[in-house]
Amino acid sequence: MSNSDKNKTIALSVKDIQISFGDLMAVKGVTFDLYENEVIGLIGENGAGKSTMLKILSGIYKPDKGTIELGGKTLKLKSPEDANAAGIGVVHQEQSLFTNLSVAENMDISVGKTGSSSLMGFYNWAKVNASARQTLAKMGSKLDPRTLVGDLPFVDRQMVEIARAIRVGEGANTKPVVILDEPTSLLEPHETAVLEREISKIRELGSVVFVSHRLDEVIRVCDRILVMRDGELVAIRSKSEVDQNELFRLMVGREAKSEKREYRRQNQGEAPVVELKSLTKKGKFKNVNLALAAGEITAIVGTNGSGREELCKAIYGALPADSGKLLIHGVEARNWSVPKAIKLGFGLVPSERKVEGMVGGLDASSNLSLIFGKESTVGPLINTKKQKAVADTWFEKLDVRPKNPTLELERFSGGNQQKVVMAKWLKSEELELLILDHPLRGLDPGAAATVNSLIRQAVQNNTAVILLADTLEEALEMGDQIVVMRDGEVSSVFDLHKEQPTSLDLLEKMV
Amino acid sequence: MKTSTPTEARAVIDNTTPPKKIQFRKLWQTFGPATIFLAVFLMISAFNPNFLTSGGMGIVATLSAPILMVALGQAIVLNVGSIDLSNASMSLLGAILLALALPNFGVTSPIIILLVTTAFGIFNGFFVAYTKVPSFALTLGTLGIFQSGALVFSNATAVYVSDNKDFLGHLHTTKLAGAPTTFFIGLAMAVILWFVLRYTKVGRGMTAIGLNETGAVYSGLKNRGLKVVAFGISGFMSGLGSLVIIAQSGSASPNGLGSDLLLPGIAAAIVGGTSILGGATNPINVVFGALTVSMIPIANAVLGVNAQAQSLVYGLAIISIAALMLNGSRSGIVK
Repeated sequence: MSNSDKNKTIALSVKDIQISFGDLMAVKGVTFDLYENEVIGLIGENGAGKSTMLKILSGIYKPDKGTIELGGKTLKLKSPEDANAAGIGVVHQEQSLFTNLSVAENMDISVGKTGSSSLMGFYNWAKVNASARQTLAKMGSKLDPRTLVGDLPFVDRQMVEIARAIRVGEGANTKPVVILDEPTSLLEPHETAVLEREISKIRELGSVVFVSHRLDEVIRVCDRILVMRDGELVAIRSKSEVDQNELFRLMVGREAKSEKREYRRQNQGEAPVVELKSLTKKGKFKNVNLALAAGEITAIVGTNGSGREELCKAIYGALPADSGKLLIHGVEARNWSVPKAIKLGFGLVPSERKVEGMVGGLDASSNLSLIFGKESTVGPLINTKKQKAVADTWFEKLDVRPKNPTLELERFSGGNQQKVVMAKWLKSEELELLILDHPLRGLDPGAAATVNSLIRQAVQNNTAVILLADTLEEALEMGDQIVVMRDGEVSSVFDLHKEQPTSLDLLEKMV
Repeated sequence: MKTSTPTEARAVIDNTTPPKKIQFRKLWQTFGPATIFLAVFLMISAFNPNFLTSGGMGIVATLSAPILMVALGQAIVLNVGSIDLSNASMSLLGAILLALALPNFGVTSPIIILLVTTAFGIFNGFFVAYTKVPSFALTLGTLGIFQSGALVFSNATAVYVSDNKDFLGHLHTTKLAGAPTTFFIGLAMAVILWFVLRYTKVGRGMTAIGLNETGAVYSGLKNRGLKVVAFGISGFMSGLGSLVIIAQSGSASPNGLGSDLLLPGIAAAIVGGTSILGGATNPINVVFGALTVSMIPIANAVLGVNAQAQSLVYGLAIISIAALMLNGSRSGIVK
């Protein structure tokens, strides 16, 4: 692809977009052009304004100032339907497909009136299925449009999401503009390759705005990269002229500092904190034997359906195992449950932060004291002053922003929410085992660095850690031992103090 | 098949309201029910100044006392994300049992009744928490059971308290500023429940499971136990409702005072700012809710609405006030 801008048509032109919420100016005069058949990357820290920018492009927020032009025409987007009708399709970070409907129905549902395959609200089934099949074929997919989305594995659902976004553009009779909001954050490593292939297909059909936190991926996938910081567009770089370090510096405003872990063993030969003896849950995992030592990180890697998530839930007491033993300091755990696990010093940072990790409607300080409330309670009573004081200390320590623990937790950005969720566990001095299920999911590199340093801090305090990492690289960087799971069984264990497997070695054992 | 995906599809667009609206909404959550109460109160006083001078508020307080009891219980159950459709019929059954018990057990009978209704509530809660029958279905069932219990124990007629009725009657006849003691008991309960929700671990736990049960469970909260507590409180409040019925009328019958408390109770909770989706309630505002709901028939009268249309006005008033009190903070999507 050539880099000269002259012989390209402008698909989407954004001029001087500005929006503020109260005193906070979230987007400050952003201007850029998106060419046809171009993939443009949008990166920035949590709170840099890129989500707000996306919401403006998809019609959820109305900007205070500025214009959006699509194919030379000025758009007035009042709602997501308007954006769809204009040919802007959005793939949201969290999947928004209807699992109880078929692939074709899902693809048809957001298409504007003109392009829809229904007549006055009545489905023309043949047409619905045919046009879905056509779009899927353009993307090189052989999915049957009549399949229920709920029956599809995760990657395929993502494919349907993207196909739907493209279909939206086709319905509007323009070249589609597809917005992908962190499409890879929920994918497993081997699946992202599939997605990257899909994106290069869309490039032939229209243009793409691609948001991601993984800088290597952004450079691989995008033609140009926009960097936002504090609501401003601070840089536009073509991919040939940047590297990851520069992107990080542009985003965060400081140099990337890699914290390589020093390979040392804290507790040689001591009895493990937690031991699993042929733990089995039918249909999920079987015969898992595992020893977790204090002050060590055990990274478990595996594909979707490898059973590692269920294994973690079983260890945490949220999913009863069918057979096998769970030993804590050599003593068998009986009638295992979440409250018991917590009492014995277990903690879980779940992957679905908003659903499992926190009570969003409750203020941040109450979320912090949901567990180990002792420091801020007297018997059954809560001392709100102390609770606030504890929260203030942790907000200071972890630099959670805004510095107001009385705000509902759902009002914080993802990175700051995750800090609070982590702090909930780190507060305990007797934390024995911390289970981290995709702790960096949806976090920008800056927040990810903070969370990683929190994990290391827990390890220093002799906590055993189980890590389900987003990428194999993350697992290799953080782990002391790596456990590979395949189809519910442990297929291999690597002791990183003795051997240095590559991500390829791990992949081999995974599939 | 490998369908264990980390995210189930959720057709929800993140529609966080911009922060500038928060301030007003917070204020409205706190002061809305009192404002609405005041507005209705002023309207009645404007149309009929006698309302102020002839003890109209005393009448409203009297009318609201039984509603307040069941409304407070309902608010606590709604707060954990469930609903208790059986609480009003529980009150009525309790009142009939109390009328039967008073001659035999005297002063201890109110305590017995409170224990019985609390046990009923705990039974409801236990079933909801452990069998996962949805509370709507379960309490719809127990509603029928309690109703038929009331018919059986009363032989379908009014049961008059034949003896030992005075000491409960005093709760009704002893008045402060025109309002009966029963109302002040409700007020005290509201303050206690407010304190429980605001300053105790159990209270915060109940709010937390109402907001996000999964998140609360993963934080180690005992969600089942907390639901049992919430339904237990509802049962206890229904028992207090029984006491109020007997105190006010000295008798109980399957179709007398207290037989139509269910809807006013729910209405009072909602008008008092309780979210039907769980996780948001303020018992003190429920007091205003109960007062407002009890004033609507009076407003009907002073406005000269004809008798046939009174239910219509009542319905419209409840809908509009509920719309005013809608708790937008919970979710953009309402079921």
